[in-house]
Amino acid sequence: MGSSSFSRSRDTVLRGLAVSPGIGVGRALRLDERGRQQFYFIGISAAQVRGEIRRLHQALAQARTQLQETKVRVALELGYDHSYILDAHLLMLEDENLVGQLEHEIRTRRVNAEWAVRDVTDRVMAAYKHVGDPYLRERASDIEDVATRLMTVLSGQAKFDPSKLEQNVIIVSQDILPSTVAELDFNCVRGFVTDGGGMTSHSAIIARALKIPAVLGLHDVTRRVRTGDAVVVDGAAGEAILRPTKPVLRVYLAKREDEAARRARRIPHHEQPAETLDGVRIRLRANVELVPEIDSLPLFGAEGIGLYRSEFMFLHRLPELPSEEEQYELYSKLARMTGDAGASIRVFDLGGDKLTLPGFEAEQNPALGLRAVRLSLKVEPIFRTQLRAILRANRHGRLRVVLPLVSTIDELRRAKRIIEEVKHEMADAEVEHNAALPVGVMIEVPAAALMADLFAAEADFLSVGTNDLIQYLLAVDRTNENVSHLYQPLHPAVLRSIAHLVRVAEAARVPLELCGEMAADPLQAIALVGLGIKTLSLVPAAIPLVKNAIRSIEMARVRSLMSEAMKLASSKEVEELLASEMPRQAPEFFAALAIQP
Amino acid sequence: MQHHRVTISNRLGLHARAAARLVRRATQFASSVELEREDTGQSADGKSILGVLLLAAGQGTTLIIRTEGVDEERAAREIAELIRQGFGEEWSDGVF
Repeated sequence: MGSSSFSRSRDTVLRGLAVSPGIGVGRALRLDERGRQQFYFIGISAAQVRGEIRRLHQALAQARTQLQETKVRVALELGYDHSYILDAHLLMLEDENLVGQLEHEIRTRRVNAEWAVRDVTDRVMAAYKHVGDPYLRERASDIEDVATRLMTVLSGQAKFDPSKLEQNVIIVSQDILPSTVAELDFNCVRGFVTDGGGMTSHSAIIARALKIPAVLGLHDVTRRVRTGDAVVVDGAAGEAILRPTKPVLRVYLAKREDEAARRARRIPHHEQPAETLDGVRIRLRANVELVPEIDSLPLFGAEGIGLYRSEFMFLHRLPELPSEEEQYELYSKLARMTGDAGASIRVFDLGGDKLTLPGFEAEQNPALGLRAVRLSLKVEPIFRTQLRAILRANRHGRLRVVLPLVSTIDELRRAKRIIEEVKHEMADAEVEHNAALPVGVMIEVPAAALMADLFAAEADFLSVGTNDLIQYLLAVDRTNENVSHLYQPLHPAVLRSIAHLVRVAEAARVPLELCGEMAADPLQAIALVGLGIKTLSLVPAAIPLVKNAIRSIEMARVRSLMSEAMKLASSKEVEELLASEMPRQAPEFFAALAIQP
Repeated sequence: MQHHRVTISNRLGLHARAAARLVRRATQFASSVELEREDTGQSADGKSILGVLLLAAGQGTTLIIRTEGVDEERAAREIAELIRQGFGEEWSDGVF
């Protein structure tokens, strides 16, 4: 591997996980991140070196001026001796050794000033971390401080604004963080390629939601690509082609045209209902996380929103929290857009692997930690603000709330009590709202699945979240590549749990919905329908395809197929059964399965 | 070339404030200033705060100051003096 990792050869093909289909062609834009602040790598030409070094010196001068002003203020307000730390910072900016290294980095590695600051200060900090003296080890934080100041000044010069891209780009990064996505200019983003990430990682969900071709899990693509390199992403094949030659590029451009044409042909059924050949009506709702997605729902034929991931509102702005007004505006939009079909708002699912609220430290085992409803019940003011906004917006439509990660009945009872309190407060204060707000429980924890009959007695509806349910049921971290093969949606344990939930919900006459990646895969969606699920919530772009699959099957036959499947011993056996039976039952839709290996 | 041998006497050693003072003083001279830890042989440019801090020279460490240039004599003397006096910071609260 070694030397080949840095090879600059043309037509280099890398294979990874095919998480979001489509062909994307553009110039690589490499992103790197440290903490929340982002640093962009931009390769520069020999002719640009002098200009970049001048930029660096301007930034150094500006940072020095800032520090001198601060130093004077500190000296006046706190006394002269306290200003010395700032003097140390000033000296760092004047340190000829450091400045020399920065210039050297720009000159020899042809990188932008931001990247040089990041690389050089990282090296200096690494040296400090090896010092035995704990006090001096701490000085690394002074260097970090100085580096951050420089980066801020540099970015203030408006050299790079990810929301204003000028050409078609392929984003190349270690991962796609939701916060990065929030800033990007989507008119120009043609694809994602990343080092890490699994099939159901946030990166994958985001790419699919935005219908942007993506290949994840490429291990070292960030080291193989420089900003500005041409890159082709073949999202269906799971391939990234680096620096394609003209003939190869032509092949992919032609393929992209074909695909666009095929997709245009596939959508027209959107006004037809999702109904099986024997007349069973299935409801297909949309999973939504980003605001721009909402407008595309009618196009895909979604019947309301089955899951609005409300925490996505936080993404690009933590630690600032969205105000009640902002939330009200957004929820009102959801309510108006979905009308009678309604929208389920999942209350903030923060913490865990998603997002950490300020003041809460990272946990050792976040998937089992303080997250979702546990966090909402602990930080009640945030929960109450969200509820007020939902209750007010509910006047414009039919909203529902769903509580994520409920594991005990007490959590449901406490949440309901808080909801009632909020309603009373609003009524007392004569705040206009609509109190008819169904409260549902997300079934994601095996304990809740086993106790579903008791939850059904106290909740207005149940919503199965398969992504997390599978993860907790099978004890598999879906983003850990070492065990991701054990993340098996068709594991008989998963099928049995879902069948159990269907029985319980029918007995209690409580609506049951299901949301998760499974619902977006036509074969798995049919399996779910065969188990008795009548309402599926999925990414909007997958709705037409899943609808076509449903329109090609007979409920009675799929039902008996699934009762066979539940007797099988492994996910593999279930897959084999479905892959051999479905092309026979619905040749028109599933014929392709028969020829796949 | 001049060289002086001097032992760090102040309680906190060459911490940020002391290092800042030392570097400020060193940069006032035209001569080059090199500091070397006698025990480890590790050396640093006396005009580079990052280098001086990295010496991690605590109380009791002996440094060799080497200066070279037009004002080398005065430079060596004054820097040695600053270190010997414990950077005039016996009132140091140790915060920085």
